[in-house]
Amino acid sequence: MPIHDLGYRPWNGEKCGRWLRPRFIAASGIALVWRRKWLRLMLMLAWLPIFVPAIGIFAFEYSSTEPQMLQFVGNLVGGPLQRPDLAMQLLADPDSARHEVWTLLIMAFFRYPQLSAMVLLVGLIAPMLISYDLRSRAYLMYFSRPLNVIDYMLGKASVVWFFLSMIVTLPALILYLIGVMLSPDLSVVQQTWDIPIRILSASVVLLVPTTIVAMCYSAHTSESRYASFSWFATWILGFVAYQILTFMGTNFGPRRRRGFVDGLLLESIDYDRWRLLSPYHALGKVQASIFGLDTTPGSVVPSVLLLIAVTIVGAWLVRRKILALLSI
Amino acid sequence: MIQVRNLVKRYRGVEALRGVTLEVSDGITGLLGPNGSGKSTLIKSLLGLVKTNEGQGTVVGKEWPGQVREIRELVGYLPEDDCYIAGLSGIESVALMANLSGLPKTEGLRRAHEICDFCDFGEERYRPVESYSTGMRQKLKFAQALVHDPPLLILDEPTTGLDPSQRESMLRRIRTLHTHYGKSVLLSTHILPDVKAICDSVIIMVAGTVKVVDTLENLSRPIHPTQHVMVLGDSSRLVQRVRENGLEVEVECDGNLRISPLESQRVELLWQLAAETDTKIRRLVPAMNSLDKIFIDTASLSEVR
Repeated sequence: MPIHDLGYRPWNGEKCGRWLRPRFIAASGIALVWRRKWLRLMLMLAWLPIFVPAIGIFAFEYSSTEPQMLQFVGNLVGGPLQRPDLAMQLLADPDSARHEVWTLLIMAFFRYPQLSAMVLLVGLIAPMLISYDLRSRAYLMYFSRPLNVIDYMLGKASVVWFFLSMIVTLPALILYLIGVMLSPDLSVVQQTWDIPIRILSASVVLLVPTTIVAMCYSAHTSESRYASFSWFATWILGFVAYQILTFMGTNFGPRRRRGFVDGLLLESIDYDRWRLLSPYHALGKVQASIFGLDTTPGSVVPSVLLLIAVTIVGAWLVRRKILALLSI
Repeated sequence: MIQVRNLVKRYRGVEALRGVTLEVSDGITGLLGPNGSGKSTLIKSLLGLVKTNEGQGTVVGKEWPGQVREIRELVGYLPEDDCYIAGLSGIESVALMANLSGLPKTEGLRRAHEICDFCDFGEERYRPVESYSTGMRQKLKFAQALVHDPPLLILDEPTTGLDPSQRESMLRRIRTLHTHYGKSVLLSTHILPDVKAICDSVIIMVAGTVKVVDTLENLSRPIHPTQHVMVLGDSSRLVQRVRENGLEVEVECDGNLRISPLESQRVELLWQLAAETDTKIRRLVPAMNSLDKIFIDTASLSEVR
């Protein structure tokens, strides 16, 4: 008998609030995922790309004392980031271009390295969240407690949100803080105060629909590899389909759409249409709009509606699946 | 503890529960029934895991089905299925269930250790649950059901997969929880000796309806006063004489007799007949119905109907 065994003892403590309980599902999931070595390594590697925009912001702010730095930033903005107009503006009047340069650099960080890291991370974490519970019938354990399906989904989604925030939101906010600290004076805060809000909004747009889609795949199979496969297939096929269709539209589309003033508008509407096939491009469109950098003509509304629809339908499917399992 | 009226559950037109009305009082109640009789559906309905089509009542003083989340706070449920949270150790699983039932984080862990000690987990509590044997998983589910100190325990086949000594320990724990700590228990099982060992009352369900609700003591008492007679040697002459005197005799497979209706006050008649037929009676006791017989009779009667 264990030395501390006192037999059964009643418990009369004070219980914590119900709204806190999804937190325990999340904490347990995070602890489980954190035990994986590859994930910790991946999180560290996902932070590396922060150096590129950090150097950009540093160079931009340093240009007030070292004007030759401005040329470097101009080359960066006009070259890889494809904004020659902004490059010209910042060479002419750096102060007026500060907000746009910062958001462009942070947006580029969101759009390219972090979105790819996000796809990889969600593809490795999210599929196992519900499918493992299906395999081991753990949902019976969860739902015999005072939890409802929404609490459960919230707890599971929070696991993904935590890790995504670690590689997307947190580095972007730190990047902003680095920018503020590198600035010659704190008046930059007046110019850029909205950037953290934009970062948080863009994070929500990135985190919520993607997590729901991944959970939806996970809820429909007890084999997490199938859910992973579906997740990666969605992104890869969508991306490839968009590239092919826009290439075909540009090179082999009706000639009347080219060379006219309104031809550009028609072509961009086509792009918008195909963008709905690709989660990568739909997310990019909405994020660019949130950062105020959407310079291409065409409405962001279809992409926003798509993301909202995906989120609602995905959440409904997960809920329906779990309720169906419980009724057996 | 549980009062339910007119509970109906239909699965795509098939009625799994047909107007179940029952009252479960404090104590340990056995829930019996053949496979597919609706026991698990009844339990899941009480916990709000499946939505019922009709019915209302109270469970642990809470409105059912309106307050199922409050009910789950006050009920410890041990599911029949093999279920566990993959990746966690035993102690983490129990602590998580404690937290989900409302215990704060640190208190949940402390309480989990306390319950693991009570369930005799030893160092096994630190192993991943996937590596547990069937018996260990049963104990784990029991610990999870108990960790938030609920006044009502609903245990679905708690002794399945346990070896005899573990089974004995499990039944002793359940009994202790009732006698020393006032817990009420609804024990769904197929293992009739378990029910006989610890239950005060019994519910027998057949084909989605409750057929029997009574205490074991009442159920064990035959409808007519009956005597159980153990005879040495040939009993055929005695049987014939008893029948001639208007009594019913049932010869059991081991040769013993069940004679009814025969009150204890009238056993002189039996002794007299035995003397007349030169039959030696080795043992004469008032007969009790066995639970097996009650169960089989109830199930078979319902099938005939």
